[in-house]
Amino acid sequence: MINTLAQIDHLASAGRTTWHRASALSKVVLGSELVLLAVFAPSLRLLVGLYALAWGLALSARLPWRLTLVASGYPIAFTLLFVLARWDGTAETPLRLLLRPLTASLTAVWLVGTTPYPDLFAPLARLLPRSVGDGLFLTYRALFELMRRTGGLWRAVRLRAGTGGPSRRRLTLAGEGLATMVLYGFERSERLYATMRLRGHNGRVCGCRHFAEGSRADLWVLAAGLVVSGVAAWLWRTP
Amino acid sequence: MSHLHIPDGVLPVGLWAPGLGLALLLLLLGARLLRRASPQQLAYQGALGALVLAAMALELPLGPLEYHLTLIGPVGVLLGPASAFQVAFVASAILSLIGHGGFTVVGLNALVLGAGGALARPAYVALARRWRPPAAMLAATAVTQTVSGALWLAVMAAAMCVQAVGPQRVKLAAGVAFPLYLAGILIESAVAFGIARFLVRVRPDLLPGAGARPAEPR
Repeated sequence: MINTLAQIDHLASAGRTTWHRASALSKVVLGSELVLLAVFAPSLRLLVGLYALAWGLALSARLPWRLTLVASGYPIAFTLLFVLARWDGTAETPLRLLLRPLTASLTAVWLVGTTPYPDLFAPLARLLPRSVGDGLFLTYRALFELMRRTGGLWRAVRLRAGTGGPSRRRLTLAGEGLATMVLYGFERSERLYATMRLRGHNGRVCGCRHFAEGSRADLWVLAAGLVVSGVAAWLWRTP
Repeated sequence: MSHLHIPDGVLPVGLWAPGLGLALLLLLLGARLLRRASPQQLAYQGALGALVLAAMALELPLGPLEYHLTLIGPVGVLLGPASAFQVAFVASAILSLIGHGGFTVVGLNALVLGAGGALARPAYVALARRWRPPAAMLAATAVTQTVSGALWLAVMAAAMCVQAVGPQRVKLAAGVAFPLYLAGILIESAVAFGIARFLVRVRPDLLPGAGARPAEPR
């Protein structure tokens, strides 16, 4: 999961397509439009159309198709619960149930794969309370470091036979290992606090201000938004 | 199982929209309580939020199954209710950006995870008066998992009822989910016991009520 996120995060910073050059705000608006249409779409044809458009966005952003497929396919397992529960012998109901979350997750992958996280979080952080907005930045910043350390810890536990023996012992050992990560998190917060003070922290971790700076690439986002709206208007009343 | 994040488009709007509204209201309340929090507290909260996400990615081998931890119980004990709820919201929001859980259901996902996390500190403080910290942490985490898991089951049951799923199928789904729910309580509690046992030996001041830090429950 985190490895997938790390690859997408890298693509967001390294990519050079039109979507990467467009402002975060315009992409967030387009992404929201796609997600909300997918959630409320009454028509199967519209859902298929929206899913195709989302794939068009992802592929034109040069996101590797396998990575995109894996990252956007997570909701399948969960949605299968509902597919089984509502099975009526037709193909339409399962398709409808699957296409909604798949379109939304594919849109999310496109958004995150074309927008570096400070730009992506900046508009969200302005809508949320200060401590929550700061939490988004600080959590994401700590994530990859914590993940690397936790992965190393897990390997050490396995190499030292910490995964053998009765379940109770294994779980308690796992807990003790994770407690070292709590300690590391605390020490890291002390270092980060000192750094924030040295850099003149004024009470808010602020994201980049250029998340809303428009460019010519935003015209493509606008065009994509118009295409999505057009497809929605055309197919809304179809079966 | 409380962190099987619900994706977009599966739940009816009548469920996710009030959930989102309630989560935002609780975030505002929490932000009021945390308005005097120092940058160090926020950084600590961020680090533990990252630990929650890292723990969710770890695979704990248990026979033929692999269990993914949430750690929201121990994190709730260490941070307090307001911070624990914020951690749950931030973790759900970050996961939704990679398709693990939906944008529209961030509120519900945060409520499911955060409701348990918010109870962890008060439960721990009450129990630690009589029990040793590892036992209190174990019991507080059991409370957390019981509440979060029960909420998750309630959301699923409500969604199935709204979508007119037959009672036989709801019972079947419950029959599969309930043993996993119980296993989750046992596993998370045992891991939390280990966390507290280590912290008591190395940094007891990180546990509530043991020293100057951390701050009073919020």
